[in-house]
Amino acid sequence: MLPQSMDRLIRSRIAAAYVCRSCTRRSQRRLLRDYSSASAAPRPVPDTYDVVCVGGGPAGLSLLTALRANPVTSHLRIALVEAQDMSKTRSWKLPPNKFSNRCSSLTPSSALFLDKIGAWDHLERSRVQGYQEMQVWDGVSGARIEFDWAADSSPAAGTTIAYMTENLNLTSGLLKRLAELGQVSVFDDAKVERISYGEKTEALDLGQWPVVHLTGGRQLYARLLVGADGANSPVRSFAGIEAQGWDYGRHGLVATLEMEGEGWGGDQAKIAYQRFLPTGPVAMLPLPGNYSTLVWSTTPENAALLKSLSAKDFLATVNAAFRLSPTDLEFMHTQGSGQSDEYAWRMEHTPVDHEAIPQTAIGVQEGTIASFPLKMRHADTYIGERVALVGDAAHTIHPLAGQGLNQGQGDVQSLSKTIEYAVSHGQDIGARMSLEPYLSERYAANHLLLGVCDKIHKLYSVGSGPLVPLRSLGLNAVNAMGPLKTFIMNQAAGNGIKVF
Amino acid sequence: MALGLLRQHTPTLLRHGLRASRTASAAGPAILTAPARWTSSSSVNADEISHFNALASTWWDAHGSSRILHLMNPLRHDFIRSCRSSSPVSSTSAPSSAPKLRYLDIGCGGGIFAESAARLLDTSTVTAVDPSPLILAVAKQHAQKDPTLMSRQKLTYLNASIETLPTPTSPAEQFDIVSLFEVIEHVDQPAAFLDRCGAFVKPGGWLVMSTIARTWTSWLTTNLVAEDLLSVVPKGTHDWHKYINEDELRGHFRGKSEWGAPRVVGVVYVPGLGWKEVGGSEKIGNYFFGIQRIA
Repeated sequence: MLPQSMDRLIRSRIAAAYVCRSCTRRSQRRLLRDYSSASAAPRPVPDTYDVVCVGGGPAGLSLLTALRANPVTSHLRIALVEAQDMSKTRSWKLPPNKFSNRCSSLTPSSALFLDKIGAWDHLERSRVQGYQEMQVWDGVSGARIEFDWAADSSPAAGTTIAYMTENLNLTSGLLKRLAELGQVSVFDDAKVERISYGEKTEALDLGQWPVVHLTGGRQLYARLLVGADGANSPVRSFAGIEAQGWDYGRHGLVATLEMEGEGWGGDQAKIAYQRFLPTGPVAMLPLPGNYSTLVWSTTPENAALLKSLSAKDFLATVNAAFRLSPTDLEFMHTQGSGQSDEYAWRMEHTPVDHEAIPQTAIGVQEGTIASFPLKMRHADTYIGERVALVGDAAHTIHPLAGQGLNQGQGDVQSLSKTIEYAVSHGQDIGARMSLEPYLSERYAANHLLLGVCDKIHKLYSVGSGPLVPLRSLGLNAVNAMGPLKTFIMNQAAGNGIKVF
Repeated sequence: MALGLLRQHTPTLLRHGLRASRTASAAGPAILTAPARWTSSSSVNADEISHFNALASTWWDAHGSSRILHLMNPLRHDFIRSCRSSSPVSSTSAPSSAPKLRYLDIGCGGGIFAESAARLLDTSTVTAVDPSPLILAVAKQHAQKDPTLMSRQKLTYLNASIETLPTPTSPAEQFDIVSLFEVIEHVDQPAAFLDRCGAFVKPGGWLVMSTIARTWTSWLTTNLVAEDLLSVVPKGTHDWHKYINEDELRGHFRGKSEWGAPRVVGVVYVPGLGWKEVGGSEKIGNYFFGIQRIA
């Protein structure tokens, strides 16, 4: 056969290659139309993306940054859909003596990941505060332990356990890094009207492709639709994935506080404090300088009262929460006002080891006291055909271990690695099978952490009875069984025994 | 360990000596109307064609009987990469311009490998051939789910066998990668078949294949356990007597001056962990075999 016959053979087959048997001639014309200009077509050419991410919070932004920063995945066509105006977030700025009340603790592995994708340098570093020590104690029995949720072994003295970061500082930094990388189609200030499936034509079968419909008629076809859209994730609903869990009947109350000093250990050895009270844990987490952020899990009634107090009475109650007995504290919550005097009087009769508790809070930044309901939720799965869930869309955790944002970063790190592997091996990144490594790597790890935090909350929500002495034994036991905890964590994270 | 050697049903067989009428390769949209012609050819085993035809609907069900095959696919790319990086000589010139690769996938089945090869950025084209029209229809239908495959015309399916493809007459018509994944064990005269496939490999390019050794373990796992006892592989998928050992493949290419030294990697499927490279396992179970055409 002649040399060019091979080419001719292939060319002749191309037309027939993608069409059904009964409509070869018609479909050849249609094929041309579908890929020519939109004006000539009866329906517009689908606006297809490899990744459409709904939600521009830390999880969604980190995922897109990771994909853009990696040469293997940087060619992917990416769209971001976010309800808020992101230009405001990007230009976010506060004076050095003001801090946002929504802060998260970033573990070193989260920080390392953010550094790897080039985002860490874009954070306002002077507003990020590392801490090297963590004091946790039972408000009823007084038993103390040292928690280390961050690493898989106890940290050496002086090692940073985590970094306190304002969420806005993180999202703003990620947006700056993403702008530097470019080539992401950003649809912000945009509302998702609905999500549907694409259609099947003779030339193309997009029947399994999710289509995100934005207000104004824009339609984004997604090879992979990522739900980074929070606890009430519309993407999760679209995928028909249920989330199990319960409400704690507790609110998380937050505030930015000014302290009497920069901490007992000075600037170089900051300490995080958490005390378990029968109503829930109260935490004082260090910010730069004399500032701290408060996270207080308590009953909705208590939270409402705290929000109604004068600054002076509020501060007295916060200081009491780390010092006075649960009974004293309970009484202070029955007062409509006057906590300041009550606190001063009761402190006269309460011996305190000052260096074992946070310094005294002397001021509260105006407008920073806020509260939100606490829940535990876990989606039944994180993946579906052409769908993946990350961050709060996949799981909502009790804030007592400061793991919410880090779990999301762990998700993103795993999902971006999964996508990289799929791309480098020619897999369709939306196919459920390509996404399976993400699910198996993250689900058990998250489930374990959700469960542990949930059990700790429940165990410590009891004020008296046989559980109290038992749980202080438990605290000490957990502390002593570090290696076992490490082993379990490693297993759950998929770093288990290698057979080969 | 026994399960480690579990074999999956394979892409459709390619018969050496298939003398299909020339009309099969002529122009025209005759692909889906061809079965009668193929089965009437004296050199094609009609039973085997229909055996694989019956599997067509489950080919892309990643949780069905093809799952192990889907799981193996990434390793094929890893193996090809390891072959290509093992040799300083390349089938493509001027590395600075990052030339793209031409693939010929023989016995492509539902297109698991062909699709994935076509998605790779350093792929120029993939030509995928299979004699079963029904399975090829499945492959084409599945490719329609991905606009990337459809719009760039990187992927071409041909209802053909290696014999019906015109013999290349210049390197420009040859391929950087000619692949025979889970095919050689279904071929009656493997020696002549391999020689025919070799003619399509560009000098510097690679002939790569995966298959399974003919040992008591492979008989136990693929025939007795997988087909007869567990029925996870459809009965009649494998003829153990056709299995080829890696030393037989080595022997075939030994002394042929146009071929370099072969690369062989044994792989084992471990439930829960997936496919793993295991040194030495090529003697007893599944293995990859790659050989570079040096002239």
